[in-house]
Amino acid sequence: MEVNERARENRQSDVEPSRSADTLVAAHRGRLQRLCRLLLGDVQEAEDVVQDVFLKAHEAARSGLAPMDWGAWLTRVAVNACHDRRRAGGWMRLRFWSAPVEDVPLAAEGLGPGEIALGAETRRRIWQAFRALPRRQQEVFALRYIEEQSTSQVAAALGLSTGSVKRHLYRAIRHLRGALGDAS
Amino acid sequence: MTGCLSDRALARVQVELASDDERAHLASCAGCARRARRLRVDLELVTRVLSDTPEPRPRTADLRRRWMPAAFGLSAAALALLLWVEVAVWRAVTPPATMQPQEVAAILSDVSASLFSLSGTPAGGGSATGASGEADETPQTLEAMAQELDNTLTGGEP
Repeated sequence: MEVNERARENRQSDVEPSRSADTLVAAHRGRLQRLCRLLLGDVQEAEDVVQDVFLKAHEAARSGLAPMDWGAWLTRVAVNACHDRRRAGGWMRLRFWSAPVEDVPLAAEGLGPGEIALGAETRRRIWQAFRALPRRQQEVFALRYIEEQSTSQVAAALGLSTGSVKRHLYRAIRHLRGALGDAS
Repeated sequence: MTGCLSDRALARVQVELASDDERAHLASCAGCARRARRLRVDLELVTRVLSDTPEPRPRTADLRRRWMPAAFGLSAAALALLLWVEVAVWRAVTPPATMQPQEVAAILSDVSASLFSLSGTPAGGGSATGASGEADETPQTLEAMAQELDNTLTGGEP
């Protein structure tokens, strides 16, 4: 009887998220979605990637391979997943090209007065400059400035040296500042 | 160190790649400190835009500008391919012009002789092979042909 109950509990733990898994999702879901959206440029794709990342986290926890630092682990897996998606996602541009005009969101949708005052042209230039950055520079900039991680944390998440992170960051800043200079 | 820091040097300071001299100058120069603050403000603006605003979609004109050359190139390539296939097929179907004019004339002559023969044998005009006798080579007169026709119709009676 006891054996049966234990077996049932094990089966349930295979399909139902544990309380710690819920905590993990609650703690990291928002920032991972923001990071993936930034790296992929597509909300739906970002959502898919985040789902995959938490699935991998669940599998890692089940197989006893839980990392010491879940935050860094999730970031690394998410960045790699975005990398894979972008490499295999040439069709995305085609899909975007064929999007009907009524599906294209308005530029000022959901913006506060501050963002509207910022100027559509400045925003467009900043986004354009960010998209023009090489993939690695985008990742480094997003983790360092959007995620507000330290240089060493970024280096650990991306598997780079701190010196390399700083050099990527330096080039990214130069490029983005140039875009702002053009705008002003 | 003399002179103020360049924009590159200020960016190096921002990412902690600057030398000791550059950092020391920044600490003592009000103008460079002001420019460094301006750089930080700009970076905050970039960060705010990237994290808080939706990515603007490329304008239709931009997309068209990006895709038009590719579309034209693909159309031209498709047209060239079509032409090449058409020419290749035309060459394969058309027989080679190896027959000499004399051969063609001889064949036509044989055909016309067969068509206009009354007795079943070629009615003159020669043969392409040259195997016919001399009688074949002499042209029949109209009277002879009429006589032959009479004989055929009357059964050879005078």
